[in-house]
Amino acid sequence: MIPFQAEDAIHMTVILATLTPLVAFLLIMLGTRARKNLSAGLSLGAIAISFGCSLLLLARLWNVREPLEYSTRWVALNRMEIPFGFLLDPVSLLMLSIVTLICLLVQVYSLGYMAGDPGFSRYYAFMSLFAWAMTSLVLSSSLLQLFIFWELVGLSSYLLIGFWYEKFSATQAGKKAFVMTRAGDVSFLLGLILVLVHVGNPAILEMNSLDSAGLMPSGILTFAALLIFGGIVGKSAQFPLMTWLPDAMEGPTPVSALLHSATMVAAGVYLFARLFPFFALSPTAMGIFLFIGTVSMILASTMAMVARDIKQVWAYSTISQLGFMIMGLAAGGYFAGVFHLTTHAGFKALLFLCSGVFIHTWHTNDIFELGKGGARRLKIPVIALVVAAGALAGLPPFSGFFSKEAILAALALSSHPVWLAAGLLGVFLTAYYAFRVLCILLFPPSAGEEPSGPVGGLAPAPKGSRQEGSSRTFIWPLIILAFLTLLLGFFQGPLQHFLLGEGKALLVDHGEQAGWLPFTALFLSLAGVGLAWAEFGRCGAARLSFVERIPFLRELFSRRWYLDHFYHFFVDRIVDRGFSKLFAQNDNRVIDGSIEAVSRGTLEAGRFLAFLQSGMIQYRLLVSFAVMVLLSLYFFYRDSGGF
Amino acid sequence: MADFLFMVWSKIQAEFSIMHTSTFPVLSALLFFPLIASAVLFFVRGEKNIRTFTLVVGIIQLGLALPLLSFDLNHAGFQFVELKSWVPAWNMQYYLGVDGISILMVLLTVLLLPLCVLCSWSYIGTRVKEFHFCLLLMTSACVGIFVALDFVLFYIFWEAMLIPMYLLIAVWGGPEKRYASIKFFLYTLAGSTLFLAAIVAFFIHTGTFSIPDLMAGTYSFRFQFWAFIAMALAFAIKVPMFPFHTWLPAAHVEAPTAGSVLLASILLKMGTYGFLRFCLPLTPSASEYFAPLMITISIVSIIYGGFVALGQQDMKKLIAYSSVAHMGFVTLGIFVFTVRGVEGALMQMVNHGITTGALFMLVGAIYERSHSREIKDNMGLGKYLPAYMGFFGLFALASLGFPGTNGFVSEALVLIGVFSSNYWLGALAIPGVMLAAAYMLRLGLKLAWGQPTSARTWSDLNMREWTYLAPLAVLVIYLGLGPGLALKTINPSIEKLLHDFETRKGQVVAVEQTNHALQPVEQEERRPSVFAEHEERAVKSEKAQQSPVKLLEASAVQGKWPYLAGLEKKSGIMTRGELP
Repeated sequence: MIPFQAEDAIHMTVILATLTPLVAFLLIMLGTRARKNLSAGLSLGAIAISFGCSLLLLARLWNVREPLEYSTRWVALNRMEIPFGFLLDPVSLLMLSIVTLICLLVQVYSLGYMAGDPGFSRYYAFMSLFAWAMTSLVLSSSLLQLFIFWELVGLSSYLLIGFWYEKFSATQAGKKAFVMTRAGDVSFLLGLILVLVHVGNPAILEMNSLDSAGLMPSGILTFAALLIFGGIVGKSAQFPLMTWLPDAMEGPTPVSALLHSATMVAAGVYLFARLFPFFALSPTAMGIFLFIGTVSMILASTMAMVARDIKQVWAYSTISQLGFMIMGLAAGGYFAGVFHLTTHAGFKALLFLCSGVFIHTWHTNDIFELGKGGARRLKIPVIALVVAAGALAGLPPFSGFFSKEAILAALALSSHPVWLAAGLLGVFLTAYYAFRVLCILLFPPSAGEEPSGPVGGLAPAPKGSRQEGSSRTFIWPLIILAFLTLLLGFFQGPLQHFLLGEGKALLVDHGEQAGWLPFTALFLSLAGVGLAWAEFGRCGAARLSFVERIPFLRELFSRRWYLDHFYHFFVDRIVDRGFSKLFAQNDNRVIDGSIEAVSRGTLEAGRFLAFLQSGMIQYRLLVSFAVMVLLSLYFFYRDSGGF
Repeated sequence: MADFLFMVWSKIQAEFSIMHTSTFPVLSALLFFPLIASAVLFFVRGEKNIRTFTLVVGIIQLGLALPLLSFDLNHAGFQFVELKSWVPAWNMQYYLGVDGISILMVLLTVLLLPLCVLCSWSYIGTRVKEFHFCLLLMTSACVGIFVALDFVLFYIFWEAMLIPMYLLIAVWGGPEKRYASIKFFLYTLAGSTLFLAAIVAFFIHTGTFSIPDLMAGTYSFRFQFWAFIAMALAFAIKVPMFPFHTWLPAAHVEAPTAGSVLLASILLKMGTYGFLRFCLPLTPSASEYFAPLMITISIVSIIYGGFVALGQQDMKKLIAYSSVAHMGFVTLGIFVFTVRGVEGALMQMVNHGITTGALFMLVGAIYERSHSREIKDNMGLGKYLPAYMGFFGLFALASLGFPGTNGFVSEALVLIGVFSSNYWLGALAIPGVMLAAAYMLRLGLKLAWGQPTSARTWSDLNMREWTYLAPLAVLVIYLGLGPGLALKTINPSIEKLLHDFETRKGQVVAVEQTNHALQPVEQEERRPSVFAEHEERAVKSEKAQQSPVKLLEASAVQGKWPYLAGLEKKSGIMTRGELP
């Protein structure tokens, strides 16, 4: 543990990287809200500085093997110490670069996308807040500190999702996101407390060292790991807390791009990678994680197959890809998971930003209408979209192919072949739904044909907006990301070396692979692409997917496996109308009722006594007579032994 | 940052150490200054003058509290002790002092007076002089409760606080004020009566009202049992714990803003303060015996309060029920008897005082604009009153325990305490944390983004409103990011409290095994001890002030009859911090 030393260049760089967005946020909130350009400039400048710093750090520490920790005591009480500081190691440095890069690109993109919005300055303020929270989360040296920024990330994404607060659905979506992730976070907090109680120090390095296995009984360790994983489930929208993410699409599209690629939801998987050695101490917990990742991956893929809203398709695909990463990590493929996180950040941001161009141009989210409107005419976004979809589907030259192969290789070495089978099924489904969207967009039915969806009657956008669609702030982020997606896969070797070091492979040796696996996977993704083309792309296609032909499945998938219904039922019937009403009525009727009965009883008793004391001689005589009669009866019976 | 703060802190301490050593009676000053000011208030004319006068009094009061900053952080015992003989015939003393358990509450009380004046500036339009008179009396009584170390003195303040609060609700309250004020009065009075019985019982048993002396005594389990019941009922009503909580929403809804603020921030804390000050030290074995019950009630309060808050339409009622839930965390933390739990409980007392006080101020501020406390009449403020919503968001987040705010620190500490004693208890309290997020979010969301009714025409916060909200906002963030200093302040006293608790609850068991404690104590032996010795002791206490005499060690008491232990120990009376 290195104490704070201001003269240390690395340390200063880290501080600069994390704090500049906060400074920007404060400046915008306090001073420059009225001046839009200045606000955007501040925010962009801050994130650019951050990005520069993170690149510097990455270059400087590329060959450093031991993690660097700068920390100071935040709270020190007897028997409990909570450090506060920065932890620099390959994962955090890599993630920091991804986060700042995506933030920078999204902010540049937003210049065009959000232009003219009345809340422009507010938007950039929240963006800066978000960037600050996320960079600090990535570099946190203790789990408690990470938790604080974890919640802050949740809060700022809540603010961004509900950015257009005039839309009722947007505020509802924001609330849903906050409460559902909060459910996970409470579990995370419990796990954290459990660790704190047993280990006494929430420093990440201490937790990750093998000592924590000695300090915690294995049952407790598994329990703590599961509780912390609860936080990941909430944040990364895994089963069963997955339904908030599709709703979070109500925010502006660049926000979705940010949320889905490198920040909010990626934070969950990042935490998994961050605590990987700790989680790996408990094989039982890892088994459960594997299960949850698989279920999420498959469920979300099926939902994506029937969605018509372009952003929702990508939202489901995010859930399923995150599930994929968790599968990889839980199977022991540390590098595979982190690598897929990296590549996914690139192509998912690209997917959203491309969709954003279409949405901005035609003002609709429906893929059929976009295709009909002539989405294919926007050359650069379309090419970028093809690249991104190719990466999502796992086609060879793109980055997604390499990372997916790595995960499948990890799954192949896992305990049971069912996981590999599920992974391969996921590959097929992913390729199918990605290219379904692409085919619908690129090959709209010719004029005479009736599209299967309802016709929105939206006229093609006027020329001006198309000009806007290809403006520079839109195009450059797309081009950069597309190149990243193209090239990143070829850096697998150096990245692996950077993350794992020499011979320090974690759990799974990535060197050996079953020879048939890449080909099978490739065949399956091509099959998915082919099926999508056959159903939506080729001339005279029915434009009806095989799922939609089966009403039961269509219902099931488009209603999100009834998860939302369940939550709705739970919140509405059980919480709101059940407990809440019941307890409120209990307060009114039972508690207050009985109190009032007591007070009324007291009053009545008082009245009765007052009545007795009214001083009328008749009553007194009556009472004395009655008392005497009773007494005489009593004495009579007592003496005669009658009782 | 922490190091820098401690540097500042030590500087401040150096500044005030002169006052500290020169025995400036800071507690008496805090106690009597508002009283004197309230007498002077009668001669002040003009509404504005009255308000300004009270505000100045509040600020001077804050200044008077500055010497408290020289509080010795390493000292577990009572500090700033003032001890005078008061009613020698009954062995009552004028005995004041603060320790880590009370000092934060004293500071909070003093801080709230000027803020309450400010938040009633335009809210209270009738009987202005009487209103501020009540405020000053309240402050005096509240300070008194937290600094009194004599049972009778404590009881006097405990009751004295009731009347101005009753008046605040009954005179300046809303439409249902009569019902609410009487309910409040009767509930608390019922509790106080039992509490008085407990005080008398302690006096008869030991012959002293001095709380530190009583803390050193040992009592039979049967005595502790009944004393605990009597005291705990009084405190549970005050906290309030389920099922004694229904007076709180009624009182909150009807009380004027300042009344609600004082009620939430100070009055509720008296109950939990009572648990810490009296139940744990005086009746340790009974406290342990009743702990499962108290924990159950606490958890029920947390969950019940949360659920009921979820369904409220009235903002004040919602916050009132959230108070029930939050105070449940305090009692939960106290009765798990772990250092972290009690620390968390104490921090939660302070934090809840800050946060909920601020929320009530905000409700009052919006009430002045809309003349309604219903959520549906106050929607859509996000666009038209951004500063108001900013403050509201901050305090709502603090209330739901968002990390980085003060609420998180205390909630996490309580949970750590609970978890280190029992996992399942912690798990049971968790739905409460979730519910807090749900109801606060529901409220905040509707206020910020609901369909505005007439919010368009309202003005945002003015200077005065900024002035009384900003200090609380600073505290929320300061205590959230740097709780170290506050925790250091309270830690030694809590360690000592729990250490005594652990040793003394064992003592009674030891005494019981030799069957001493259960034997009834002869009346004749007990009586004279009170009356015969009082003159002698008055003399002794004079001496004791100059040379502090260390008390008998608790272990020495062990073999003796409990009441004898009580007598013997009276030969020495403690001055600052000399508790065993």
